[in-house]
Amino acid sequence: MNIIELKDLHKIYNETEVEVHAVNGVDLTFEKGEFAAIVGPSGSGKTTLLNMLGGLDTPTSGKITINNTDISHLSGSQLIDFRLWNIGFVFQAYNLIPVLTAKENVEFIMHLQGRKKNEREARTKELLTAVGLGDRLNSRPSKLSGGQQQRVAVARALASKPKFVLADEPTANLDSKSTENLLDIMERLNKEENITFIFATHDARVMKKARRVITVEDGKIVSDVRKNGDE
Amino acid sequence: MNLINLRIAWRNIWRNKLRSSVVMMAVTVGLFGGLAASGIMKGMVVDMVKNSLENQVSHIQIHHKDFKANNEVDFLIENSSGIIERIKKNKEVKGVCERTKSYGMASTASKATGIMINGIVPEKEKQVTQIYNKLSDSLGNYFISDKKNRILISEKLAKKLNAKIKSKIIITFQDYNGDLTGGSFKVEGIYKTQNGMFDEQNVFVRKVDLDKLLDMPANSSHEIAILLNDFQKAPEVLSQIKPAIPEYFSEAWYDIEPYLKFTSTLTEFMLLIFMSVILLALGFAIVNTMLMVILERTKELGMIMAIGMNRFKVFKMIMYETTILAIVGGALGILVSVIFTWYFGNVGIDISSVGEGFESMGFGSVMRPVLEFADYIQVIVLVFITGIIASIFPTIRALKMRPAEAIRN
Repeated sequence: MNIIELKDLHKIYNETEVEVHAVNGVDLTFEKGEFAAIVGPSGSGKTTLLNMLGGLDTPTSGKITINNTDISHLSGSQLIDFRLWNIGFVFQAYNLIPVLTAKENVEFIMHLQGRKKNEREARTKELLTAVGLGDRLNSRPSKLSGGQQQRVAVARALASKPKFVLADEPTANLDSKSTENLLDIMERLNKEENITFIFATHDARVMKKARRVITVEDGKIVSDVRKNGDE
Repeated sequence: MNLINLRIAWRNIWRNKLRSSVVMMAVTVGLFGGLAASGIMKGMVVDMVKNSLENQVSHIQIHHKDFKANNEVDFLIENSSGIIERIKKNKEVKGVCERTKSYGMASTASKATGIMINGIVPEKEKQVTQIYNKLSDSLGNYFISDKKNRILISEKLAKKLNAKIKSKIIITFQDYNGDLTGGSFKVEGIYKTQNGMFDEQNVFVRKVDLDKLLDMPANSSHEIAILLNDFQKAPEVLSQIKPAIPEYFSEAWYDIEPYLKFTSTLTEFMLLIFMSVILLALGFAIVNTMLMVILERTKELGMIMAIGMNRFKVFKMIMYETTILAIVGGALGILVSVIFTWYFGNVGIDISSVGEGFESMGFGSVMRPVLEFADYIQVIVLVFITGIIASIFPTIRALKMRPAEAIRN
């Protein structure tokens, strides 16, 4: 079952004198439970594609349907609400709130959703334990390593019970051991809990783990490879 | 109640301790400066009003309908004692006294000057004004001697006339029949109030002595002065007195000396304006700080907007931070002001070395700052408003960010 459908998606930037066609007629679908990587060189349009998938940017033309909702024409505040309830984000630079502990960072998004204290606390503990940080609940980001911070970010992304998680270069700032550890955790969550992960990356380690690799060049999809061999 | 925003705001403030402390200190010092200056100003006015009421005006006065316009001695209140007895029955009345008043000329061997002669009944006057309390020990007594034609003059007038205790002063004036008359009075006491202008013009003699010289009809006077237990009850008591003696003109202190009421109201207004201007300036300092904060936290704000924090919640988060900065600084400023007002309200600030000019305007030579609970509440409300308004501009700046770009910043 498709949870995401992109149809003839275009994104043109006119901010400079030169018109930039960052995404150029992309058609793409994602099914529930995918572990996919969008790859490509810098400036290929993978981040723009990911931003539009996440409702952080709007297409110039085309249609984005997520769980039967066309988000291409939602207003700014509708998009904020849509993101809150449907999409989990993991960013390259972790982007945790530095003044909150690991537990509070994970709880934060559930505060935004207005979930009750008992539910928040139980889910936070469950998620931080799942990412191997059950003993670091009260540590602030500054007391955690990069890998640990990114694992908190994964827990935060999952806390809102999203339909899928978008991870933009999640391993770019991590060493090999942390990268492997993080990818193992995300793969396990994907397999055991059927959580959909979509990465934008040019990290070979991520591509290796991904079961689907979509290559983007000059705003176009040049290949879409599934690890079982289908293309 | 969801306190996460408040918790974030509070912790964010202490991310840069030095910067936040400087802003809070600016608010503290600014508010203290404003409140201390306002307190001193208000204290001086309260003191001036109190002194004017206690020494001179009292709370309600009764005159002949034409007396105030002409000050002629024949515009009398007849049957003064009967009226006083009726007024005394009012529970709000603390003291009542009658006075005979006449303009005249006071002269000694060396000088002469125009004065207002107040004929008083010393014991009754004590119930209404504080003149008896304004004589220092070395400067005579308040009508202790039984001998006739004794006079109280002010220190200022004594200097002007070159008179001392036991000096003789010749007073001349027109009597009830329009004839020029006069008498020789011996200085029994020298008083000094905080109102130089009043002091220069007013002398006090026994009513019985003045009545005799003026040839006043028995049981008559020019003025009945009433002191109340609470000066704020003046309108209520006045409304009871007026119908009881419709033939005479009764008025309360704020009509007798409108400038007292005006000065009081003006001071309250000035306090509001003064504090608003100070808080406006502090508001700009807070806005500047918060703009720097927004700039520093571009990524963080981008992230929270990306994951789903709506505009109102972003505004609330920034507003909490701004308002806490203002409130913590404000609370310290108010605390220091309370201590300042309490301490100097008791001890006083002596400005006698520069107070000459003040005294001629009716202000005391010792300033005692006064700030009431309502003044603090007013300032607290202003601080709140400043915090909220100061958060609007930084919030607009924050909300203009595009989350995707802010995160990549």
